[in-house]
Amino acid sequence: MDLNLNHVDYLQVGVTSQKTMKLLPAIGRKATQKVAVADHDGVVTCFGMKKGEAVPVFKSLPGQKISRLELGGALGTPQEKIFVCSGSEVRGFTKKGKQFLSFEANLTESINAMHVSGADLFVCASYIYNHYCDCKDQDYYLSGDKINDIVCLPVETVGRTVPILACQDRVLRVLQGSELLYDVEVPGPPSVLELHNKDGGKDGEEVLYGTADGKLGLIKIERSAPVTRWEIDNKKKKGGVLCMDTFDILGDGVKDILVGRDDGTVEVYGLDSSGEHTLRFEHVLSESVTSIQGGCVGKETFDEIITTTYTGWVSGLTTEPQQMEAGPGEEVKMSRETQTKVAALRAELEQLQVKVLQGREKYQQSSQSSTAVSAVPVFSINDKFTLCQDDASYSLTLEVQTAIDNLLLQSDVPIDLLDVDKNSAVVSFSECDSEPNGNFLLATYRCQANTTRLELKVRSIEGQYGTLQAYITPRLQPKTCQVRQYQIKPLSLHQRTHTIDQDRPMNTLSLVGQFSFAEIHSWVVFCLPEVPEKTPAGENITFFFQNTFLGTQLEATYCKGEAHFKSDNISTISILKDVLTKEATKRKINLNISYEVNEDSVNHTLRMIHPKLEYQLLLAKKVQLIDALKELQVHEGNADFLIPEYRSILEESTHLLEEYKKQPAHLERLYGMITDLFIDKFKFKGQNVKTKVSLLLEILDNYDLNSLIDFFNEA
Amino acid sequence: MLVPIFTLKLNHKINPRMVTVGKFDGVHPCLAAATQAGKVFIHNPHTRGQRQAAHRLSQSTQDSDISLLNINQAVSCLTAGRLGPNTTGDTLLVGSQTNLLAYDVHDNTDIFYREVADGANAIVLGKLGDIQSPLAIIGGNCALQGFNYEGNDQFWTVTGDNVRSLVLCDFTGDGKNELLVGSEDFDIRVFREDELVSEMAENETVTSLCHMHGSRFGYALANGTVGVYDRTARYWRIKSKNHAMSIHAFDLNADGVVELITGWSNGKIDARSDRTGEVIFKDNFSSSVAGVVEGDYRMDGQVQLICTSVEGEVRGYLPASKEMKGNLMDTSVEQDLIRELSQRKQNLLLELRNYEENAKAAPGASEGDMQMGVIPANTQLQTALSVRAATESQRAHIELSISTPNETIIRAVLIFAEGIFEGESHVVHPSAQNLSGCVRVPIIPPKDIPVDLHIKAFVGGKSSTQFHVFEITRQLPRFSMYDLNVDPLSPKPTGRVTFTINDRPQRVVMWLNQNFLLPEGINSPDVTFTSLRGGGLLIINMQSNGQISLRTDDIDLAGDLIQSLASFLAIEDLQAEADFPTYFEELRGTLTEVDEFHSVHQKLTAAMADHSNHIRNMLVQAEDARLLGDFKTMKKRYIELYDLNRDLINEYKIRSNNHNALLACLKSVNQAIQRAGRLRVGKPKNQVISACRDAIKNNNINALFKIMRAGAPSS
Repeated sequence: MDLNLNHVDYLQVGVTSQKTMKLLPAIGRKATQKVAVADHDGVVTCFGMKKGEAVPVFKSLPGQKISRLELGGALGTPQEKIFVCSGSEVRGFTKKGKQFLSFEANLTESINAMHVSGADLFVCASYIYNHYCDCKDQDYYLSGDKINDIVCLPVETVGRTVPILACQDRVLRVLQGSELLYDVEVPGPPSVLELHNKDGGKDGEEVLYGTADGKLGLIKIERSAPVTRWEIDNKKKKGGVLCMDTFDILGDGVKDILVGRDDGTVEVYGLDSSGEHTLRFEHVLSESVTSIQGGCVGKETFDEIITTTYTGWVSGLTTEPQQMEAGPGEEVKMSRETQTKVAALRAELEQLQVKVLQGREKYQQSSQSSTAVSAVPVFSINDKFTLCQDDASYSLTLEVQTAIDNLLLQSDVPIDLLDVDKNSAVVSFSECDSEPNGNFLLATYRCQANTTRLELKVRSIEGQYGTLQAYITPRLQPKTCQVRQYQIKPLSLHQRTHTIDQDRPMNTLSLVGQFSFAEIHSWVVFCLPEVPEKTPAGENITFFFQNTFLGTQLEATYCKGEAHFKSDNISTISILKDVLTKEATKRKINLNISYEVNEDSVNHTLRMIHPKLEYQLLLAKKVQLIDALKELQVHEGNADFLIPEYRSILEESTHLLEEYKKQPAHLERLYGMITDLFIDKFKFKGQNVKTKVSLLLEILDNYDLNSLIDFFNEA
Repeated sequence: MLVPIFTLKLNHKINPRMVTVGKFDGVHPCLAAATQAGKVFIHNPHTRGQRQAAHRLSQSTQDSDISLLNINQAVSCLTAGRLGPNTTGDTLLVGSQTNLLAYDVHDNTDIFYREVADGANAIVLGKLGDIQSPLAIIGGNCALQGFNYEGNDQFWTVTGDNVRSLVLCDFTGDGKNELLVGSEDFDIRVFREDELVSEMAENETVTSLCHMHGSRFGYALANGTVGVYDRTARYWRIKSKNHAMSIHAFDLNADGVVELITGWSNGKIDARSDRTGEVIFKDNFSSSVAGVVEGDYRMDGQVQLICTSVEGEVRGYLPASKEMKGNLMDTSVEQDLIRELSQRKQNLLLELRNYEENAKAAPGASEGDMQMGVIPANTQLQTALSVRAATESQRAHIELSISTPNETIIRAVLIFAEGIFEGESHVVHPSAQNLSGCVRVPIIPPKDIPVDLHIKAFVGGKSSTQFHVFEITRQLPRFSMYDLNVDPLSPKPTGRVTFTINDRPQRVVMWLNQNFLLPEGINSPDVTFTSLRGGGLLIINMQSNGQISLRTDDIDLAGDLIQSLASFLAIEDLQAEADFPTYFEELRGTLTEVDEFHSVHQKLTAAMADHSNHIRNMLVQAEDARLLGDFKTMKKRYIELYDLNRDLINEYKIRSNNHNALLACLKSVNQAIQRAGRLRVGKPKNQVISACRDAIKNNNINALFKIMRAGAPSS
């Protein structure tokens, strides 16, 4: 990598949300820029660097948690007014720190995304989009799923207002006034939007997006239709994208793309000679990167990447080389600046220590009183529980502003906890008593010092549903722990898609009964992931899903009093039937359930599984041979005497082992699903075939597609 | 940043922990390591193309620097060093489960080849105590054996369990080496020749030991712990989720003090300060580390640290140069310091905020505050330990009851303790319906060891999402699984051991109260317990003349009690008379079995020799028939050969079963000697062990039992 950047810490503020740090435009040529950053304590801090020390320009008073920070100003002038939103209020500050605007948007929900352009203000709460001009209501739109971010094409170049919403259901919604102009499908749930080159490119129509599953891309939003320019996959399974910026850090005259991810990765993508985007620089911070900007802060003439992390560290990755103090003598010399800095910090620490001791004493004293209560404020946790498409498992990430002491995981459904290499925490599984306490998993993670972020992987089984609970205890006095709950849904391995293949043989499940639209929607939310909690607008709705493990699909269409589910996988239908019946009985609603089983669908599903199964079996066989073959090779001195098949195994051995390691228990999962398919097929016929399962497993051991299909047909 | 000065890819797998460096020709250091298929390879990059294959040694055809040594047995340990007085170079010692081979690589000859019945799990070469010549000491099943250059057995003793690691170092500081032995019963034992000097109890199998400097040594356990001891005091230890494969002492930062270098199962190498355990350097291999050694591999007068991975990758590191000033990692000291201080500041600020917010909280919390888990400030947890006899539904256990004094509930209890749970923690998480202010945790310690229970209890309200964490440490006394309630009908134990002490009965009472879980203390040294593990009785009786008798059928328990009492009363030497009729009877049976197995072994060996002669004949006949074109006879012969081969395989299976059974018996004999020793303390103990050993050597079984009963006559 040709880029060499050095990491420098500048300042720590409170916990930060996504996109809450911006660089103010530089005054004059090549001067350093000021940084504006807002945190969960409600404080806006604006500071500049002088001789390696952070000098505050202003600091606002604490208040409600700030969820976004944007820059604005009259069109055509430097954008140096600071806008922040907290709750449903938007405030504006001048660069000197004078508050000139306080605008209550009167939304029921708090604002989580905002865009400012001249006198136009665009805000988004969970599902609602609002456009104000000079603080007067202009347009309104209700989105079908949660809005994660908003951006507008630049009015100066495009000549009209084009707001674009990034919505959780893998769609960018392009608006015109209060109406949807069109929507753009993207490969994952978009989490952040930015204008390309900060101005949307030549035509001002290019928008960069990043997704929660780590992909990024560029789309040109033309007047009538979108054009996808490029997409970058997330093959290395890095974290989700939280922030992006464009800045020429490589110094080649083309603006590079800076990306910050929720696993702490900072990346720079540059254009290579063939016009492709390639990774030019990568650096890993220990916490999720909430904001990223390119600019010049630490020292004049040295460009850098400024990042803020979840716990509020503002730091730079600078092109300025770190000075080497190769003075005489043994001692490592510290620059005078750092010395004063350290001394100041130490003094401050001492004062704090005294205060904390007093506080501690007081707290101890209160334990003598019989009326006093102990109420420790809630600490903030940044958590994410998402389905990974590639290996059909859930990843749970937890992040706390201080070091985590330990974590307790408890689940009331059978799930597998997988090891993640990145974790250094010592995991220990405790004996579980499923009766009477209903525990299927009890595991503790004892973290090493300074662990603020933990990543876990969990594998679920479709049809088994319940709750996973995480109790997080940080290293903070007085010690408290917080519990977070995550639903493992009955069809946990399904993912939303936009279209499905209608030609496949489908099984149908129809429900008719006295239920409202809201009720049936809540049942679907209960069964399937990635469905918005809010009941959709309109009379009826259709959702499409795909099973990430097998590739089978599901179509759900429902309205008041009627629901239809179509899937080519009979097990999916069976699970839905069981869960929905249970839910309806719970609420004493009479359901009329009818189903239509398509015999071809089972064979179709088996054929879909076939290539996966065959590949896995072959892989397992090859991996088994590797050690023996290597031994033969050592014994004979070379591998020339082996048949070509074995020689190729030897040649590919590292690759094969890698592949094998990547998918632990893949074969067992496939076997489990085929068994479910077998049982479910005959369940719909009213037959119990559990006794024949051992026969089925025998056939699977000597796998052959035709004999398997025959067995399914004959039994 | 310290980088390797050389990297080699050897294309041979390396067995974990079986790597050494030796100057086999007296000049050139070569890397020797055990690889697959019962082979040892020697990597000699210094003298290319001068060797020829003969005897055991053959040149590898893949790589001219590597020669392979056929051992034809699975290698279990290996080392190199100067053994004989008149050899040109180092001797290579290779141990397997049945043999020990001393081999002169330079002359390509066997120095000696000894059968070792107890196997060789670990090997060390060097001088021990006052023994003149260097010894190759191997550790096998409960036994230690030392051979001199002639292959004569110069040293033999027994230890508590299978030996896993050995090291020689001057533990006592008397200028002579002691032998440190790590074994599968979690103990590190120190032998001054055959006298046991000290014992340190750990909580997992001790897999590696290494000498640091002076009386300081490093150790590694099977559960991922590494640490440093100075004599019997542990300096520091850390635990990782990975396993330490190999540890080695090396001065990597050139400060004159060695660091502990650890190679981990995930491929990580780290160097830790011997004083604090702080990481000063780390690097990564792509596969698990196999061994860490040192040697002047480049022949330039500087010793390098040489790390090898199981896939055959070798890296050499030179100690850091002066310019690096001990800073081996790619970090800036200043940055780290500032970051650490800021982190501390942030932590203190957060703690302070906790106290402030807590002071604000009004007594009489509202419903909304229930989420925060407000509890009365005077809440204190009560814990109690009690012994519970077996009931129909539950095994006998120790009950730890934790309760709150008010209406608050305990959401979950985490207990971290070493050596008594499957993992390092045990969790109790009642289901939502069963929440209460009292939690009872059954604990069943598998061994009689004192344990610190670190209890973390999550206390709050029923609907809280945040809980207060109460941290309490309770000690579980060593002999906690013994109940004072005695069933009068239970039979009196037949085994007994009596000894006399010169101490007041009150001191014995004190010891009883400290080491047993007694509800309200006792004041007489005459007590009877029921063992909750075995069910038998334990009767302790002390007469006015200081004679104590322990009556139990469990010889291990008697030994533990005596050792514990002796260390409590600071008794240095203690003679005892013992009689354990049932155990002795068993031992007598085992000894006869050993004889039987030996004779079966001999018979089988003879039969095998017979068969191999047959095979030779048959093969010649078959080949003759083939040359004569008599295919009918040839086929017949080959079928016979096939049958014979099958017989041989069957016989081999019998042989191997016989051998395993023999090993098990030998282990129990060794353990019996160890147990007999543990009934005594100090000199009498060592005398009993050596006398028992002599008795077994002379095959004098009656004398053996006499010694076990009455102790050895002091010589």
